[in-house]
Amino acid sequence: MSSRSTFIGAVEIGTSKITALVGDYTGRELTIIGHGECSSRGIIKGAVVDFKAASECTHSALEHAMRDAGERIELVFLAQTGGHLEGFYNEAAVNVKAADNMIGAEDIRTVSELAKSKQLGPGRMVVHHIRRPFRVDGRIIPGSPENLVGQRLEVGYWTVHGQEQRLADNIHVIRGFGLAVDELVLASLASGHMVTTPEDRQHGVLALDLGAGTTDYVLYRDGGPHTTGVVPVGGSHLTNDLSIGLRLTEGQAEKLKLRFGRATVQARDKAEKVWLDGNFAIGDRQFPRHAIEQITAARTWELLEVVKKNLGGAFAPETCAAGVVLTGGTAKLPGIAEAAAKVFGVPAHLGETPAWVAENLRDPGNHTALGLLYYGVTAQAERTATSRRRGGLLAGVKRLFASA
Amino acid sequence: MSSRHATTPPTRSWREIPQQVNRRALSSGGRRRVVLSGLKTAGIVAVLAGVVWGGLEVAATFQANPRKAAETAPSAPVKDLVLVTDGVLDQAWLARTLALPKNTSLMSLDLFQLRTRLLASGQVRSATLTRSFPATLAVSLSERMPVARLSAQDRDAEPRTLLVARDGAVYEGVGYDPAMVQTLPWLAGMKLLRAGGAYQPITGMESVADLLAKAKLEAEHLYDTWRVVSLARLESDGEIEVVTRDETKITFGLTEDFFRQLANLDAILDAAKAHPEKSPREINLAVGAQVPVAFSGVEPADASRPKPPAPAAPALVLPVFPHH
Repeated sequence: MSSRSTFIGAVEIGTSKITALVGDYTGRELTIIGHGECSSRGIIKGAVVDFKAASECTHSALEHAMRDAGERIELVFLAQTGGHLEGFYNEAAVNVKAADNMIGAEDIRTVSELAKSKQLGPGRMVVHHIRRPFRVDGRIIPGSPENLVGQRLEVGYWTVHGQEQRLADNIHVIRGFGLAVDELVLASLASGHMVTTPEDRQHGVLALDLGAGTTDYVLYRDGGPHTTGVVPVGGSHLTNDLSIGLRLTEGQAEKLKLRFGRATVQARDKAEKVWLDGNFAIGDRQFPRHAIEQITAARTWELLEVVKKNLGGAFAPETCAAGVVLTGGTAKLPGIAEAAAKVFGVPAHLGETPAWVAENLRDPGNHTALGLLYYGVTAQAERTATSRRRGGLLAGVKRLFASA
Repeated sequence: MSSRHATTPPTRSWREIPQQVNRRALSSGGRRRVVLSGLKTAGIVAVLAGVVWGGLEVAATFQANPRKAAETAPSAPVKDLVLVTDGVLDQAWLARTLALPKNTSLMSLDLFQLRTRLLASGQVRSATLTRSFPATLAVSLSERMPVARLSAQDRDAEPRTLLVARDGAVYEGVGYDPAMVQTLPWLAGMKLLRAGGAYQPITGMESVADLLAKAKLEAEHLYDTWRVVSLARLESDGEIEVVTRDETKITFGLTEDFFRQLANLDAILDAAKAHPEKSPREINLAVGAQVPVAFSGVEPADASRPKPPAPAAPALVLPVFPHH
């Protein structure tokens, strides 16, 4: 690895805010040297609906981050979310080619290509191919099966795909700043990578990233991502429900949500009222606390139920020993861990920011951008290593003969 | 199970989304970045083009006339000789010694040979020659300083006075004030050998130079009377013999501190002034705590003994400075 610094930008275009981080990657370590943030405009549920407005605030966040870092970003890792993202599982198997049944690189490549080759619908593009562990004659192999002996090699891929236009919109926002997108990373994978430990992932853990417009989730099993998904419901829906239920403006409802919203109903006294502003100004109004908690709890409960339903058979309490880890801006809602534990039937807790992260970045809302840098660097290193392995004259000639 | 040779339909990846910059999509910050990046690229291209053009020009020059490159910058003839020295040598001596032919170009000078010529004089300890373009040769010299002189006579030649430096180098002094040379004591009691065209350095001169320097600095009135310094017993006995203007022979030892020996000598000579009827003929400061002094007009008991080892009559033993 070279020791030359590469300045990488991590951008999360969220529904409520856009976060940009600048990382200094030396090939051995990654240091966060810049941070920029801007309130979102032109983004609904993670999708760009007003290109100009979205570009302006994204570029503003990038400029802030670069100014903070004092360096120019060279490439960008972009987080991807939105209801258009879907996933499916496809697996393939091959008989081992060698006479002595020793699995070779060619067998691995063939089975992987077959497992990844399912046709997508029109206008759909692959965002991630997430490989699940290989199986040799039914035996799970956590690492590479190369040089192991067996007759049948199997592998499955969880493929995440999205709508081409939506993906292109996000990429073009970054291109408008004169930067190229080098990695497109699912937001759930980025934040999940940040708030779970390798042990959690080995034991099985569900990471829930509760954003303003979407809820991204990733279920880890056997040390790697097993299933991912996006529910186009987030914290802004809680605000919307309060606004409709209590006949408030969106701003007032947001204020009430932040001050009195809960994921579980705690207020016992139904007559207890709370002030909207609490500053005794003309126009300040009172609202029943119980009603506020009921509205926010109901929506939160519903959201968690939707996630559980989407996970379907993939989630089972016995395969999720490390429980549920919650992150994202909406994870700051009091009682949400309690609600998640009740819905999923496993222990739940809020994701903790690792100790090495600077104080100003220790907020659940930054986990996606932080994870994006680390996940992106790892993914890129793996991709570089794979392309190096495939390279070389001998490998090329071998492939030529094999295809002939 | 999927077949190994199954046709695999191509799946489209997000990487196929074109990422070229659309001008309409550029924000002001983006435009600035693109312009800066364009300028940077243009700068790099310009520098590279310059390097390539220069390389091609040089290659073309070599191909057309291989000698041209060397001839393109003929150096001018040497016009000035600049001398910087810490001694007494002057510009005329330099010009005489270097003896540069007229209209010699600066580049054609063999600086190593010229330096050897300068060092051959003996008076020059080190020399640095620098070409200072367009037409100046700068010479920086570090000279030896004489501590004594000697008279040498080659076969069938007139005797001539040579100077001896602290490191024992023997040379013909040039440019020194004759009055200064007159104050230098003569060296005697050693052999002057030739090696090639020059004299070999005299061994042991450092001790002699130390004694002379100490005497000149601390007891100039004594030093002024010294005429001959003999090295005859330097190697064998570690003694330096000095003969003064009035023929008194003073022996200094290398094992004793010269300053204390000079102080003893001064005290003895002062004490001797109290007896004007007897003048000291030999003073041996090399013995140790006591100093045997032989006076003129008083014959020793055993005249065969060249140097009395113990202070016995008729030699006087004068009190000396105690040892520390």
